[in-house]
Amino acid sequence: MLGSYITYVLFASYGMNPLLSFLISGPAVFILGIVIQTVVFRKLVHLSRSAEELESRSLLACFGLTFIIQNVIAELFRGTSMISVPYLNVSTDILGQPIPLNMIVAAVMSVIISLVMYLVLRFTRIGLAMRATVEEPAGAQLVGINIFKIHAVSFGLGALLAALAGSMLIMIYSNITPYIGPQYTFIALAVIILGGMGSFIGSLAGGFLIGYAYYVSLTVDALITLAVVYAVLIILLIIRPKGLFGR
Amino acid sequence: MLRVKGVNLTKDLTVKIFVIVLILVILVFPPYFLSVYYLTIVRNVLLWLALSISWHFFSGSTKYISLGSAAFFGIGLYFTAKYLQLSTAGDFPVLPLPVIVLLAGLVTLALAMVIGLVTLRLRGIYFAILTFSVSIVISNVILWWEINVTGTRGTYFPLFDTQTKYYAIFACTIVTLLLTTLVRKSKFGLALKMIGENEEAAVHVGVNASFIKTLGFAISAMLIGFMGGCYSTVLNGYVNTDMAFNSLYNFMPAVMTLLGGAGTVYGPIIGSTTLSLLNEYLRVNFPHYFLIILGVILIAIVIFMPDGIMGIVEKIKTTKLFRSEKAKAPEKPP
Repeated sequence: MLGSYITYVLFASYGMNPLLSFLISGPAVFILGIVIQTVVFRKLVHLSRSAEELESRSLLACFGLTFIIQNVIAELFRGTSMISVPYLNVSTDILGQPIPLNMIVAAVMSVIISLVMYLVLRFTRIGLAMRATVEEPAGAQLVGINIFKIHAVSFGLGALLAALAGSMLIMIYSNITPYIGPQYTFIALAVIILGGMGSFIGSLAGGFLIGYAYYVSLTVDALITLAVVYAVLIILLIIRPKGLFGR
Repeated sequence: MLRVKGVNLTKDLTVKIFVIVLILVILVFPPYFLSVYYLTIVRNVLLWLALSISWHFFSGSTKYISLGSAAFFGIGLYFTAKYLQLSTAGDFPVLPLPVIVLLAGLVTLALAMVIGLVTLRLRGIYFAILTFSVSIVISNVILWWEINVTGTRGTYFPLFDTQTKYYAIFACTIVTLLLTTLVRKSKFGLALKMIGENEEAAVHVGVNASFIKTLGFAISAMLIGFMGGCYSTVLNGYVNTDMAFNSLYNFMPAVMTLLGGAGTVYGPIIGSTTLSLLNEYLRVNFPHYFLIILGVILIAIVIFMPDGIMGIVEKIKTTKLFRSEKAKAPEKPP
């Protein structure tokens, strides 16, 4: 949502190309994510005695954060109900199917971003440190990884990716409001859980599955899409409680 | 020693009962002297209180965090609204409101049994997401059915007067309080708590975990369904899926309970009262910024009162100033 709005502001006031605004919205939200993590969530990690406690407290804190961010933006943009940055909204023919060019750009960007993320997680030092922190926080600390720094960076990175997704959404859809975030958050959570937590391939597969379920049901009836998406999630979770690729 | 403890206990109990009766008496009379605005506030507090307690009854003791309360609230609400509509039209026999609400609760109970049987094999975030998904699926299927089959959006039903609105919610809250208190003190309530502490150990000492969990989940859902049914009186004769299955009902009971302090008896009561009053106060006084302020307060509470409001109360109780024979009593498990 923030990504969308930053892109919108840059476009509306400076006429900046939405694709270029990635360069600003990404880092800005990355820094915001790091600040939020350091101010709020690091404290929670210190305070909590168990994972369950941390989970419930994070839930409360996230609620608070969502309220704050959504309504600050809503206040700043009072009067403008929905925003959009139409960009590359021309259709091209691919295999005889007319497809808007901005969707193709978004798809290509998504693939590139996923690939980069995968390579970063798999082959770089920081990716290795991240994976180590997830699997064995105490052990990671022992071998000299600053797990708090890693937590902050991963949180910021997550925020950055979400912002990029927001910047792409606004090129395609025209119904962006400050309150659009949670619905995507839940779809994202559904995708991760569907694929199996901690599995990169799983998230990709989950994303594709949810995407297909969404568009196949969209061709039948636009009203039933949400029900179908979540029904798919329910059925798969019942069959495979740890997700498709979960360990 | 034992006798002293016994005396203390009865004294405590008398004080407790006195306070409870006092509060009840205070709450019975508002319709006669409060203005409609303040009556609405009291009613809203009671609504959230009952929902938080119902939620806490299952999720607080077993630590299976359910984010699907809206499904049960909505089903109870929709059932009642639909029945009222059909009985006014003459298709169904006319029944008094409590009976309809009771039926709504039973329908929710049955539904929750089925959902519980399927979903309660999962724990943690998986269970939370699954219950959330169920509420989304149910609300969207009803919406789809409304538009494609009946061709109408929402349900119309007769209006109720201010007093009925208040007493419906009030009665439902009392029923919720009584039922959850009774069950919590019973063997069944203990079993639920034990599942929350350590499910494997519970199974080893002979607790039929899946049965207890499903039943607990269903009872909690039934209470939420009751409240949904009673809430139909408050809506002025019209309900649609957005109102009945609002995600607020999914999250607020959990947020309120955590705010008050999960796992404590008074946590949900204090949390829901505080948050709903705070919400109302901020909404009236800072109409544009109230959600921002609410967010700041939520975060402040999480950071400075990590165990909720009850956590602070416990801390004050155990500081030296107030340390008396009470503090020497064995500590309750958190």
